[in-house]
Amino acid sequence: MMRTARLALVVAIVCAAGVPAAQAQPPPAAGPGRIEAAFGGLWFGRQPLGTADANETTPTGGALKIFATSSELARVFGLEGRVAIRLLSSLEAEVQGSYSEPQLKVAIGSDSEGAPAVTAVETVQQFTIGGGAVWYVPARALGSRVVPFVTGGVGQLRQMHQDRVLLETGRYFQVGGGVKAFFVSRPRGFVNAVGARVDVRALVRRDGVAFDDRGHASPSVGVSAFVRF
Amino acid sequence: MTRAVASTLVVLLVAGQPQPALAYLKFGVTIGGRQVTLKWAQTPVRYSVSTQSAPQVTVADFQDTVARAFNTWQAVPSATITYQFAGLTAALPGRDDGLSVLGFQNRPDLDRVLAQTSFLIDRTTGALVESDIVFNTSFEWSVSPTGTANRFDLESVALHEIGHFSGLGHSALGETEMRDGGGRRVLAAEAVMFPIAFAPGSIADRTLKADDIAGITDLYPEADSTRTTGSISGRVTKDDQPVFGAHIVAFSVARGTSVGTFSLGAQGQFSVAALAPGVYILRTEPLDDADLDSFFDTSRNVDLDFRVTFADRVVVVPRGGDSGEISVKVARK
Repeated sequence: MMRTARLALVVAIVCAAGVPAAQAQPPPAAGPGRIEAAFGGLWFGRQPLGTADANETTPTGGALKIFATSSELARVFGLEGRVAIRLLSSLEAEVQGSYSEPQLKVAIGSDSEGAPAVTAVETVQQFTIGGGAVWYVPARALGSRVVPFVTGGVGQLRQMHQDRVLLETGRYFQVGGGVKAFFVSRPRGFVNAVGARVDVRALVRRDGVAFDDRGHASPSVGVSAFVRF
Repeated sequence: MTRAVASTLVVLLVAGQPQPALAYLKFGVTIGGRQVTLKWAQTPVRYSVSTQSAPQVTVADFQDTVARAFNTWQAVPSATITYQFAGLTAALPGRDDGLSVLGFQNRPDLDRVLAQTSFLIDRTTGALVESDIVFNTSFEWSVSPTGTANRFDLESVALHEIGHFSGLGHSALGETEMRDGGGRRVLAAEAVMFPIAFAPGSIADRTLKADDIAGITDLYPEADSTRTTGSISGRVTKDDQPVFGAHIVAFSVARGTSVGTFSLGAQGQFSVAALAPGVYILRTEPLDDADLDSFFDTSRNVDLDFRVTFADRVVVVPRGGDSGEISVKVARK
């Protein structure tokens, strides 16, 4: 909650600072400015990591279950920063990084000797760095100050276990879409635009703290403030 | 020189002198007041095969079968121990002759013992001089690739005994139930070094499990393994008092494998070594699935009065390091 509050404050300050300088000029399709820097908050949805049973081998080669586990990375809020550069009138390339501290939860149950169910927990420090593309979708109905876009990207995942005893690495892929709202938009000057971005993404993380080689999908939602130069 | 019967196997197994080290059960001797782990100082360890055959097993079949079992241990990539066949011999196992001999003997007096491993130890240095394995012809044996009904699988039992021959004690990764006529029946096991053999006809124990591999790696670590594997250490307490003899199982969520150890330290300490890095779940249970003397000197006060307990935190094994002390608090039944 603290991070969310801090994020809201950052957005509010940027917006407030930008409002007096706002011009009535409508921005181009993707807004003015060639380089965009953004910072904001990110919400990662729950990421199921699968199930695993602790088995023992029977005399016939079968399996006797001793207990069962089900694992997930819990939903979490994090921070995200991005820098984008305009390549074409409606296409940007961007690099992004994020930081969050999700909990790795392993629910343990079905014990063969009746042990009470337990959820074992640890906090993971999660870093991502990656790149992607943003394509601005022409949509006059939204007006000149709100620009819809679709986005996609890939990147590297670094997940550090609690007490920093082990670093896990992985990859992520994401696709999604959202809107950018321009609060300030002016073709001249050092700062060309100030606004906010909201987007929803489908995120697939592979390896890292995952316990198999498959990709694991989860939703994410980002809200950030941006400045164009 | 002293000969110690270190282990026997089948429905009942008598442990020799398990060393109260922190990781796994290993055999050991006390030399000059200090504990020395029983292990081979030099490899390859040479072994001979007795020319004494059994009713259903020729000498050639016996030689081939034990060679496969030796090769299975030798193939563990994280361990350095190797073995070498030194030839056939008329010598019998159990004699103090400087030869490590594997062979059949008729031992009707050992009515629940399929096989037995003994050691000859130099009491001045603690060095392991020889080790012999006797397979009891009071039981019927099979060397069939697919097993034979009503006969014990020689390769499975040889694999267990060669674990002892190499210095490993027993693992408690198994479930049993009491039989009407006495003794125990194995429901399942996840270690070749579990003290009680599978029923006749089963060949399920021809493959080493994670627990066996961790044990042999702990005893004979390959140079890289200390950098590529890690450990979990901690202590088990009940009412703030140390618990001796609790069985702790580290379950790898990623691999689905289990490795066990015991709380053997004076303060209830335990250590699970030679683990692949990653996330583990710790389960602590009383040692109630086998006879205590299969594991410990029964004069030790093994605590069985506590409930099965899971650690409420995820335990992470680092690469080349230790998890940091894990405190496991158990409650009375």
